[in-house]
Amino acid sequence: MSKHQALDTFGRSGNPIIRSSAFQETTTSGERMSLEGAVNKTGILLFLTVLSAAISWNFQGPLMSLISSIGVLTGVIAAISTFGFYFFFIGWIINPRPHLAPKAGPIYAIGMGFMIGVISQQAEALFPGIVIQAVSLTFFVAASLLFAYKTGIIRPTQNFVLILFAATLGIFLTYFFSFIFSLFTGSSFSIFTDTGWMGIGISLLVVAIAALNLVLDFDIIEQANEQGAPKYMEWFGAMALVATLIWLYIEILRLLMKLRSR
Amino acid sequence: MNTFIAVLGILSALLFFYLLRFKASKKQTDRSNRPKWSKYIPYGDEEKKDKSDDADFSDK
Repeated sequence: MSKHQALDTFGRSGNPIIRSSAFQETTTSGERMSLEGAVNKTGILLFLTVLSAAISWNFQGPLMSLISSIGVLTGVIAAISTFGFYFFFIGWIINPRPHLAPKAGPIYAIGMGFMIGVISQQAEALFPGIVIQAVSLTFFVAASLLFAYKTGIIRPTQNFVLILFAATLGIFLTYFFSFIFSLFTGSSFSIFTDTGWMGIGISLLVVAIAALNLVLDFDIIEQANEQGAPKYMEWFGAMALVATLIWLYIEILRLLMKLRSR
Repeated sequence: MNTFIAVLGILSALLFFYLLRFKASKKQTDRSNRPKWSKYIPYGDEEKKDKSDDADFSDK
């Protein structure tokens, strides 16, 4: 007798415990992600970022600088624990753990928000009106790339991912070494602070790479949705998108500051 | 100038959240050279583990 016939012959369990809500938890944990859910989570994370940025903008001082530094550190830890850490020729030093995103996402958004508030307030004090320009340009670039992605004008391939990944890692390593350099000498690499055409050109390149990273985030969300990924991937996609938007905003702000200080 | 940029930013943000809700075109999704994200991001592992724990009732 096949297992199927056995089930038909003896019937399925009539036990009320098994039939009732005993498996509801399993069903809930097996929920699939949706585009709508990813959009809502992106909204929540952006709201948290803006909220903490508004707090640090309005309460500047040594205490807020300390909170901002702790925020960045916490945000980086949350990002690395969720997205993992990959290095050329070595592979994954820390494996990505997307199931952490529902907790790490809000921590990241709040932590980075404090830092954005401090940076934005300082930039606004030097160049009035620059923050609204940077925010607007960030959303303009994001919306344009999203349109290009959804309509199929930009179609990411495996080579596109590899080139972009290498470029992104290169930028982050340069930032990292510049930071280490600044700890010893008190000044960062001049290519980042240079307001000449060279510095502006490099800033434009970094803005372009940051913007193209958005395409990868869109593709992660789209593909995870198509494949019926678990619910936590909504948070993962939203966190990736918000992380790239924050990076893009900072780079656009830096570019505008260079342009206006000429 | 800044008012124009602010309006552009608000419209862009609204468009961004509006477009994000829609599925990408077939031109984007129906192609063989798409990057396979599940290779890098292990979001299927828990499902495979759950399935392996289940009894198999399929007719062989």
